[in-house]
Amino acid sequence: MKLSVEKGSFYYKKNVPIFENINFEVKEGEILAILGPNGAGKTTMLRCITGMLKWKDGKSLLDGEDIASMAPRKLWSKMAYVPQAKSVSSAYTALEMVLLGRSSHLNVFEAPKQADVEKALEVLDFLGMRALAEKKCSEVSGGELQMILIARALAADPKVLILDEPESNLDFKNQLVVLDAMSNLAAKGMTCIFNTHYPAHALQRAQKSLILSKGGEYVFGDTISVVTKENIRKAFGVDAVIGEIETPGNMLKNVVPVNIVSDAEALKTTETIEASDGDAWNPKRCIAAITIIANSNEMADKINALLHEYNELLIGRMGMPYRECGLYIINMTLDGQESKILELSHKLNILPGVSVKATFAKGDFVTEPEKEGKVE
Amino acid sequence: MNLTKTGRLSAGWKIVLILLPIMTALIALGIGRYFITPAEVLDAITGRFTGTYEISDMAYKTIWNLRIPRILLALLAGAGLSTAGCAFQSLFANPLATPDTLGVASGASFGAALGILLGFDMLGMQVTSFAMGALAVALTWLGGSGKGRGLSSVVLSGIMMGSLFNALVSLVKYVADAETQLPAITYWLMGGLNSAGYRSLMFGAPPIILGIVILYIIRWRMNLLPLSEDEAKSSGVNIYTLRVVTIICATMITASCVSMCGQVGWVGLLIPHMCRMKFGSNHLSLLPASISFGAVFMVIVDTVARTMTASEIPVSILTAIIGAPFFIILMRKSGGWQL
Repeated sequence: MKLSVEKGSFYYKKNVPIFENINFEVKEGEILAILGPNGAGKTTMLRCITGMLKWKDGKSLLDGEDIASMAPRKLWSKMAYVPQAKSVSSAYTALEMVLLGRSSHLNVFEAPKQADVEKALEVLDFLGMRALAEKKCSEVSGGELQMILIARALAADPKVLILDEPESNLDFKNQLVVLDAMSNLAAKGMTCIFNTHYPAHALQRAQKSLILSKGGEYVFGDTISVVTKENIRKAFGVDAVIGEIETPGNMLKNVVPVNIVSDAEALKTTETIEASDGDAWNPKRCIAAITIIANSNEMADKINALLHEYNELLIGRMGMPYRECGLYIINMTLDGQESKILELSHKLNILPGVSVKATFAKGDFVTEPEKEGKVE
Repeated sequence: MNLTKTGRLSAGWKIVLILLPIMTALIALGIGRYFITPAEVLDAITGRFTGTYEISDMAYKTIWNLRIPRILLALLAGAGLSTAGCAFQSLFANPLATPDTLGVASGASFGAALGILLGFDMLGMQVTSFAMGALAVALTWLGGSGKGRGLSSVVLSGIMMGSLFNALVSLVKYVADAETQLPAITYWLMGGLNSAGYRSLMFGAPPIILGIVILYIIRWRMNLLPLSEDEAKSSGVNIYTLRVVTIICATMITASCVSMCGQVGWVGLLIPHMCRMKFGSNHLSLLPASISFGAVFMVIVDTVARTMTASEIPVSILTAIIGAPFFIILMRKSGGWQL
């Protein structure tokens, strides 16, 4: 399901806009990361997107239908919200908590039936949380509670999942558990939006990113073109290094803040890259080879769809299923703008269970006349 | 996994929760200065419908004119106060909430005191008491609710309204006749079920029963009450309506209870917590359990109150004396209280 925001504006006091004229779109199966410093209004943004707060101007659209005019029960059977896992004051068991997610499917006088219980258990199974079903929410760890809240959201069978800082306050392992769950859901077609403090998580998980600065300025676009040193400097007021760490399967992007920049300095940064305008940056022509290993048929289909989208870059491609091991291996050669190639490689890297590495040709290369036509 | 694991009552508990209040009531009907065996009690009850009974006229009249209305009142007040307490604790996500959190009991007490001061009869007093209780909650809601304000400002407003009406009670006591009215007011405020009668039940029972029935029907939805604002909204349920319905029901119940038997403290705090310790927080089982045990507790306490000494002990004194230590023992055994 597609979620988009058109001309969204919000303020608490008339002359102090929190944000103005926000526009973005997240497609089915895509993850959008909303980044921003403390106090920039990330949570307010989520509340506006979901209609819990009303936009002062503009609207949120779910597959083209204005959220504000949808009946709450209809809206919340398509969209689900996962709050930040702070301590809960209610001692429901995990299963009871997950069943509350069925509310939008039950009428006022109904209690959950066997079918609802089965749905709840199915969701707990999917997240690997079945063993916790009878544990009290007030007695589980922070990571477990966050997973229970995700399970509660999933119990409503939503098409769009909104998560408010799902990985904050969690240790490394639980961060991975939560973020992997989100990636897997998106790979199955869920549209996800999450707030985060970590630019690295946007780079590692999200196709699209939106960076919000204090004062309502924002950038939106493909993560790789939005989460840049310049934008981080401007929004967060820090100089950061964006590096890559090589693992056996992937190149992982990481962001390390190194230096505090004064607010005045940060605002001077003008090199804000315009939203998803890939052509504006790094127009250099490159030749690259990308190797992909996918571990499921499903992912192979997703990869094919992506490659189709970036068809213009492909000059050679060889795919081979290695059935005995259940693997799909794709080798391809690309020729095109460096930014486009990086974008594709980033989107491939985000897919769960897919190993991707790109190798770029060194230095200058001879341009042959017949190939030039294809690239331009 | 079966449905009972999701917070539904097992068949065994259902039977216990239904039979326990009935058994307790039947036994309590026989206990008193004039002792009647359970068999004779049954005979008296069936006698009403068959027209023939073997026990003495005296026993028959004691049961039908004195004890049945009183025990009906005890059942209703206990079930009602405990239901209202349970609802308010969930609504405010606060284990310390009681039926009086929004100032109902203070308002109703003022109404009753005013009724005594103005020399109204029993029924008139009951009506003013009920009306004042409802008024207090309405004022609390007007004062505390509003756009952007959380429920905690409603609670604060309730505390203010409670102390305002308590001051008004003091004012009424101050101007009341010290020989006749003041003792009546003081005694009434201590709470007791001695005013029970069919006439007062005719007026007082329907609001209690209606409130309990509505809350019982929406009991699963009540599970959404302790959640945070955004969580509740994202369930797709109109949380505002749910809150208002809960408040109206709990207020109806409490105002009516206080108008009939004065300020009976503790039941609304004690019973729901006891039930939470045993049945968990899911209202699917918590609410029926609270209703049943509230009724049982009140019947037992009232029976003790009217039989322990020659003259009756005000019931609120007993609920505290029995309730407080019992609760502390239970709390220490079960490792704390939680919603």
